[in-house]
Amino acid sequence: MTQTLTPRTTADTEPDAVRTAPRRPRRGGRAPWEEPPTVAGQAGKGLTLGGVLAVMLVPLWIVVVTSLSTQGAVNRAGGLVIWPTELTFEAYRVMLEDATVRTALLVSLGITAVGTLLSMAVSIMCAYGLSRSRSLGHRFLLALLVITMFVNGGLIPTFLVVTGLGGYGEWWSLILPGAVSVFNILILRSFYSSTSTDLIEAARIDGAGDWRILWSIVLPTSRAVTAVMALFYGVGYWNSFFNVMLYMPTDSEKWPLQYVLYTYVNRGNGLPGSVNAGFGTQFAQTAPLSLQMAVVVLTLVPLLIVYPFVQKHFRTGVLTGAIKG
Amino acid sequence: MTAPRTQRSGTGWRVRLRRDRSLLLMTLPAVLLLVVFNYVPLFGLVTAFQEYDPLIGVWYSEWAGLYQFERLFADPLFWGALTNTLYLSFVQLVLFFPIPIALALLLNSVLSTRVKNFIQSVVYLPHFFSWVLAITIFQQMLGGAGALNQFLRSNDLATWDVMTNPDTFALLVTAQVIWKEAGWGIIVFLAALAAINTDLYEAAAADGAGRWRRLWHITLPGLRGVIVLMLVLRLGNALTVGFEQLLIQRDAVGHDTADVLDTFSFYYGIATGDYSYGAAAGLFKSVISLLMIWGANKLAHAFGEDGLYRR
Amino acid sequence: MGIELNRRRFLGITASVAGIAAAEGLLTACGGGGGQRAVGANGEALKAALPDYVPSALLKPDIPSVAGGPDVLTDPGFLTYPSNRVATVSGVPGNGGRYSAVTPLWGTVPPADNQFYQAMNKALGVTLDMKPADGNNYATIVPTMTAAKKLPDWIQLPLWWGSSFNLGGLAGTQLADLTPYLAGDKVKKYPNLAALPTGAWRAGAWGDKLYGIPTSSTGFSIAGTTFYRRDIFEAKGITADQVKSAEDLMNLGKELTDPKAGVWAFDDVYRYIYTHFGAPLKWRVDNGKLVHVYETEEWLAAVDWCYRLAKSGYMHPDALAGDNANAGTRFYGGKTLIGGGGLGTWNLADHLSGTAANPNYRRGAFDVFAADGKSKPVVYMGEGARMHSFLNINLKPEQIEELLAVANYLAAPYGSVEYTLVNFGVEGVHHTVDNGVLRATEAGQKEVQATTYPFLASPGSIVQNLGADQVTKDYTAWQAANVKALTKPVFWSMNVSMPQAQSTADAAQQVEDTLKDCYHGKKTVDDVKAAVASWKSGGGDRLKQWMTENVLDKFGTGQ
Repeated sequence: MTQTLTPRTTADTEPDAVRTAPRRPRRGGRAPWEEPPTVAGQAGKGLTLGGVLAVMLVPLWIVVVTSLSTQGAVNRAGGLVIWPTELTFEAYRVMLEDATVRTALLVSLGITAVGTLLSMAVSIMCAYGLSRSRSLGHRFLLALLVITMFVNGGLIPTFLVVTGLGGYGEWWSLILPGAVSVFNILILRSFYSSTSTDLIEAARIDGAGDWRILWSIVLPTSRAVTAVMALFYGVGYWNSFFNVMLYMPTDSEKWPLQYVLYTYVNRGNGLPGSVNAGFGTQFAQTAPLSLQMAVVVLTLVPLLIVYPFVQKHFRTGVLTGAIKG
Repeated sequence: MTAPRTQRSGTGWRVRLRRDRSLLLMTLPAVLLLVVFNYVPLFGLVTAFQEYDPLIGVWYSEWAGLYQFERLFADPLFWGALTNTLYLSFVQLVLFFPIPIALALLLNSVLSTRVKNFIQSVVYLPHFFSWVLAITIFQQMLGGAGALNQFLRSNDLATWDVMTNPDTFALLVTAQVIWKEAGWGIIVFLAALAAINTDLYEAAAADGAGRWRRLWHITLPGLRGVIVLMLVLRLGNALTVGFEQLLIQRDAVGHDTADVLDTFSFYYGIATGDYSYGAAAGLFKSVISLLMIWGANKLAHAFGEDGLYRR
Repeated sequence: MGIELNRRRFLGITASVAGIAAAEGLLTACGGGGGQRAVGANGEALKAALPDYVPSALLKPDIPSVAGGPDVLTDPGFLTYPSNRVATVSGVPGNGGRYSAVTPLWGTVPPADNQFYQAMNKALGVTLDMKPADGNNYATIVPTMTAAKKLPDWIQLPLWWGSSFNLGGLAGTQLADLTPYLAGDKVKKYPNLAALPTGAWRAGAWGDKLYGIPTSSTGFSIAGTTFYRRDIFEAKGITADQVKSAEDLMNLGKELTDPKAGVWAFDDVYRYIYTHFGAPLKWRVDNGKLVHVYETEEWLAAVDWCYRLAKSGYMHPDALAGDNANAGTRFYGGKTLIGGGGLGTWNLADHLSGTAANPNYRRGAFDVFAADGKSKPVVYMGEGARMHSFLNINLKPEQIEELLAVANYLAAPYGSVEYTLVNFGVEGVHHTVDNGVLRATEAGQKEVQATTYPFLASPGSIVQNLGADQVTKDYTAWQAANVKALTKPVFWSMNVSMPQAQSTADAAQQVEDTLKDCYHGKKTVDDVKAAVASWKSGGGDRLKQWMTENVLDKFGTGQ
């Protein structure tokens, strides 16, 4: 809170004092050793990236326009809307005015924060533990991990194990069963075993133990991959609702945001079978399609907010350089 | 094996345990979680050898020996699904796999940070679209009544049937995967690019290495570990190709074109209540996948790469 | 990559389980459960267990029901809501018990412990913990509950998912037998339940015992029909009466299709049209012998017609590409003018969606016709109720009685005091009355879901679209015009539990897949014939034998 009142000070005082290493110019500059760009190269690059952007942005446009369209506009288009005609914020209003959505937002934030922290801690430790070549049993443990990527017992057995441990209706059943992603561990491990080996050896000679090496050498030199993994896990927790369906399908006050939003997607869908619903039909006045698209947009927003924080770790070489300097 | 080696590991074992104690301790939480939530449920695999009835459970279901596997191997639909899987997997390996790498390199070479950040923030978004939405968008753009074909029609040109053509289905599926996942796929490579020490570039440039030589001698070797790892994992996953994506488009091109192993075991196993049959198909797939990842890893070693673990 | 993808994949599985089950509802419902132990069906022996039928005549409908054959009756139509409401239950039915209840919900979940729930609990005299679960994933949620033996006290289990849930196996192992409480005249203790038609109860029985409490029971039970855009037809001077045969319908395709304008005459129609060709729903008995639909010439004729339709250029390309999800919007947008669909779509919501796109929007349905234009038009009936609620087997007898009394309250007829509370909430809080039309308030829209309590027990179906009388009139008129065509299929309302091998053959996935490819124009009729031949040798013939020995010979046809 107080920080937001004085936003400038932290930004001004902190950064460059810590990072002592001389850095190459960023912000659009070209490194001193790089050749000036050729015209053809620039044009080709521009065209390719422009094409990529167009292909990505057009669908995004369609989604946003549809989410803002009235039911009439959607139905006239016979599906997704490409050219905006009648615009309305109705779909967003319906969603955001719901008290359940607000509770669910807190639940989602909680699960994502706790889950990501736990997953990261477990994965980083495991990845580092397996990254030192010739350590005892690392090949066996790796095999143990990799097997789980390809072999699983199926839905019902997993469900029975979790409920057998008392997980039915408990928060942890949304986090623990999927807390470890072997894929993520393998990537982390690949980074750990290829970077800063000389630094680690030096530290070991100085008498540093593995915990210390992990904390003060490996983690600081691999911030990019750490950020990416946190993104992967965070996105996984934020988006997940399959476990919700299994372990708390009927406890609506415990549902995370994605699951509640998902119920909006179903809203107004006809019931299967020949049930002529009565009173409730009066509620289904917002076009399901615009609601569905509003849900899509709403789920993209947090990512748009979070992504820049991940992105800032992608600057080539800055961090390794800093440690060495 | 040979006497000295046994002796060495015999004495070395305790030394190594003491040395690697904290490393082992670090892996413990992850291993525990995997054992509880992945290994214990493996008892479910026995359903492949049963006539499993979910209601009476694994304990009381009838044993069927290898009956489900006999059925499986005699089923032409299964072999069709396997062929489709391998074919789609191969096409995606050739056409999809290099793209995130190329895109990451291209993006990395953009000088303006603002442009770079903007492009990055856009290209990963389609990953978060569901397949239902992604394919609806494709249908509305390229489908028989889509924007493209309505344009062709209004100009009295021949229409272009791409969404329902079984012959080009593999290309369509790959194009969809590229559109949806390539942007997200670059993130790992960007992280790997960020881990390359800039001093190397500076030194190489000082030695007179040009842009392409630096790419070849510094950038690509810097990415090699990750690329090989991803390749090994992709090969291990060769029998897994877009379940939901194919499920949705199955009606568009016909089941014998679109069925892969996962959709096969879904339609002919789970959806019809024939759980044991589905489980048998799943187990077959798991075993082959493990063999493939083991083989891929061997191959990586043969080329002097680490793969999943160092030799 | 990594974990997210996996989760998405799982999601796909479940979503499509629901989708398939819903689309093929009628077929699976006929198949019944797939358990191994409770092999058999409910037939004549059940008669003693069925509750007596004591119709109630609380309110005279504006559009009265029309009777057809036995167990056939159109739904009554109402154009107003009575201001003078009668109570059918005296006092409160419950004794203060506390129960959990799970129903599927296709909609937004209401806040937990809201004013509506509180008002209901007060009126019912019990605390019902209402736990709506997502309808689209219901087919996944329920099997996990039964696997862990965690069923709530009271649960809605729709028949069309009978095989996913293994209802036949659950009956008597996890679901309570209600026969001792409701058989014969015992039901008279619960007059509103006694007013539910016998056919509806029959569909909730296994063996000769009663398990399910019918909800949304109807005497006009057909899964769907072929709809058309009445407003557009009329503007073009076409009347639906012109369509008397399959060729008439095909000819409309030429007249209505205009690809340049983005208009194609047809969406998918196979599902509700193949019986018009004289094919049975699934089985028929020829000279005492059981014949499967796949073995009939009539069915092949229907498949051939649908194949020609797919190749004619009169079908919307998205429909041919298997995109069912947007069929509704195509119809509203006038991009397709004829399509098959469930009867449940003919209501106020449909009217609102359609008129939002085009103020003249009006849905119509073709009268049932015979494909050759000469035979007697026939449409086969489904069960008298396709959704039932069940009680947990662990409940004590007095608890079951308490919940049946609650069910009696929930099943109070249209226009009663109880019906008003159950369906519209509290006046002034959840709804206001405006010129005889009940309008939901903000709180009503959030808290009173149309299906929350009615999925536990409800009176017989009525047609009522307050504020859109045209829809009520059109729909009831169509029902009345077609009531004579309703015919009981073989094994009507009989729940058959068959062993796994038969259940697999019954699903006939390979034939259904090839069939779908055929009516989308990708496989020929010969391909379908080949698939049928391999189905017969791979289990179809054994299925027929099993059905003959275990159902036909023992229980009869149920007609």
